[in-house]
Amino acid sequence: MEIFVQQMFNGLTIGSVYALVALGLTLVYGILHIPNFAHGALYMMGGYITLTMMTNFGLHYWLAILVSILAVGLIGVLMERLVFHPLRHAPPIHDKIAAIGILLFLEAFAQYVWGADYQTMPSPYDQVVHLFGLTFTMQRLLIIVFAIAVMILLYVFLKKTFIGATIIAMSQDREGANLVGINTNRTAMLTFLISGGLASIACSLAAPINLVFPGMGQLVILKAFVIIILGGMGSIPGAILGGYILGFSESLGATYISNDYKDIIAFVLLVIILSVKPTGLFAKGGH
Amino acid sequence: MLKLQNVSVKYGSFTAIENLKIEVEEGQIVVLLGANGAGKSTAFKAISGLKKPSSGEIFFQGTPISRRTADKIVQLGIVQCPEGRHLFPAMSVYENLKMGAFVHRRKKDEIKKSMSHVFELFPILKEKQHDPAGSLSGGQQQMLAIGRALMSKPKLMMLDEPSVGLAPLIVEQMFEVIKTINKEGTTILLAEQNANAALKIADKGYVFENGSVVLQGTSNELFSNDEVRKAYIGA
Repeated sequence: MEIFVQQMFNGLTIGSVYALVALGLTLVYGILHIPNFAHGALYMMGGYITLTMMTNFGLHYWLAILVSILAVGLIGVLMERLVFHPLRHAPPIHDKIAAIGILLFLEAFAQYVWGADYQTMPSPYDQVVHLFGLTFTMQRLLIIVFAIAVMILLYVFLKKTFIGATIIAMSQDREGANLVGINTNRTAMLTFLISGGLASIACSLAAPINLVFPGMGQLVILKAFVIIILGGMGSIPGAILGGYILGFSESLGATYISNDYKDIIAFVLLVIILSVKPTGLFAKGGH
Repeated sequence: MLKLQNVSVKYGSFTAIENLKIEVEEGQIVVLLGANGAGKSTAFKAISGLKKPSSGEIFFQGTPISRRTADKIVQLGIVQCPEGRHLFPAMSVYENLKMGAFVHRRKKDEIKKSMSHVFELFPILKEKQHDPAGSLSGGQQQMLAIGRALMSKPKLMMLDEPSVGLAPLIVEQMFEVIKTINKEGTTILLAEQNANAALKIADKGYVFENGSVVLQGTSNELFSNDEVRKAYIGA
């Protein structure tokens, strides 16, 4: 029983990270109508920038994260302006190819600047806490609390503010959004900014319990794809729920099935859910 | 109020409208008649800023607007109810209406007032305000599209085929509402295939064929014109 609870806690931790990454991916899906393959590179950049800010510039962990959020958000905006915006009238396959191009470019860039070595990110929260018979590090608790706080903030922003609602409106009908007076260019940039920021938060939170290296975004983004397909492309509750479903199944699977099969669980889950409900759990009507 | 001066719009090498001259006076209801593909929707797109004219100029209250973006044009007071409605299907009726007031987003009281005005015109929307727009019937969706457009407090409202696919009784109701909106001070530009219903409420009309205006006149003139009767009224 204790192991079960401990693993549920771990699932909650990984699930929080997955949900943050998947949220950014699903928001941008509403703008591009393709999954942004370069999103994993934004995640990786987030980790490196936070790490550099801490080790080279001596910034505190939180301050480093803040810089990283802004920087990666900006990379996201540049991506939209320089690559996806000029391609907006091109067939969707061009966006896909361009996204893969950006991914390769950013990974090569990271390797050039920071090297190919695996690096560790020190966290000021590596204390071990014993609570209710459970053992965990502060960092893991922090991931959960911070990620959930970010998700609540995002929800309030999207649901309760006019500017946030433009993102939802544009994902549902771009021309309709334009016709009520929304500047769709600005909304697209805002979406990429938020999406980059979310990727950066996710990686900066998760990096102290993992490692930082140029290819670190690949497996995460692959799983984020699974999550948004699972939750329904473009669905926000779907991305959150999907993130946690995957987090729980991975940590429980690693314990009760085998740790070696941890990474395959996501894809088995995908096959099962798509066989039962081909449109995903929270599919929107229409497309 | 609105003046199209020799406006042409091209899609690649295809000329969708050519040398269009249209004038709408303040307070009028003006109708564009024509079959599918005659260029009515393209003219609307050009006015709304969704498609840039290749030549010519569009004036709104004396200002040239053909270079402005779609969101700026809504701010000027021109709103379009497009063909296909382009609602936000997963948002509720209430949220759709609220988004319609995007250009007035800082004036909360005004939004509330506009909203209750829309609910007065279309009581069914009030009843269904928490339902997603995508779950409404065709007629209700059309009402919501008109309501959403009204939320921007337009000076000029363009309606692209509001009667398409609707039951005759609903069409009649829709045109009554359009007349009311006009009486309350909004100028109306209407694109229709249903010439019978449209000419009854319109002041004047233009007949489109293959991207050009082939006939224009007051509604009475067009109503009694043999060719119009043959082509669009069927009598």
